Amino acid sequence: MSFLKSFPPPGPSEGLLRQQPDTEAVLNGKGLGTGTLYIAESRLSWLDGSGLGFSLEYPTISLHALSRDRSDCLGEHLYVMVNAKFEEESKESVADEEEEDSDDDVEPITEFRFVPSDKSALEAMFTAMCECQALHPDPEDEDSDDYDEEEYDVEAHDGMEVDTTPTVAGQFEDADVDH
Amino acid sequence: LIPTGYFKESRDMSHSGRNDLSICGTLHSVDQYLNIKLTDISVTDPEKYPHMLSAKNCFIRGSVVRYVQLPADEVYIQLLQDAVRKEALQQKQ
Repeated sequence: MSFLKSFPPPGPSEGLLRQQPDTEAVLNGKGLGTGTLYIAESRLSWLDGSGLGFSLEYPTISLHALSRDRSDCLGEHLYVMVNAKFEEESKESVADEEEEDSDDDVEPITEFRFVPSDKSALEAMFTAMCECQALHPDPEDEDSDDYDEEEYDVEAHDGMEVDTTPTVAGQFEDADVDH
Repeated sequence: LIPTGYFKESRDMSHSGRNDLSICGTLHSVDQYLNIKLTDISVTDPEKYPHMLSAKNCFIRGSVVRYVQLPADEVYIQLLQDAVRKEALQQKQ
């Protein structure tokens, strides 16, 4: 795996929320071995026993999901869809990629699955990832300014609430100029 | 204006990411970045993403959602219109 590299495991300085050992990583269906998944506020990382691994940046993670299907060949796992390409195999696939490169409109998608041996940890892993994702919004999303509330839980609210943030009249107007 | 208060009991919402993946599910929650949590999801194009077939709950990054499709009868249209009108008036002042 050419994209695997060695780096120190994330610690408190990276905002490590959860560390899950004995977790298998699967990239697009190919097993990468067993290692430790680090869910940190800065990024999501996985390192195998020899210290080799990879990191995923939250802005590139399109979605993550909990898979509870025990009949799935992997068993219960955490699914992560990434909007990026990861080199997998040898030179053969590189040649193929050159031919397919005309597909500029299609965004690259890589599917990761993290399979912890401790299935009871999955819920916490999912939640930790949700929390970290919320810390990395796109910088373009500046127009949702007045809405300062936390996550809006649909089931917790009975439905009809009108939430209008009061603004001070004239707060955006220029100050009066005395001539 | 984030009209999350107008969903009665959201079911059958479809999302479309940039790679045209449609996910249908029950809306659990939304945050200020329009990150969306869905439960009991089903993927409408499982041939493309077979690995998602077994997924039950998911968290979708708001920035990759192209559109959200809601069943019309699950939304209080009148309330929504009133709130939007109110918001538009406020912004004009």
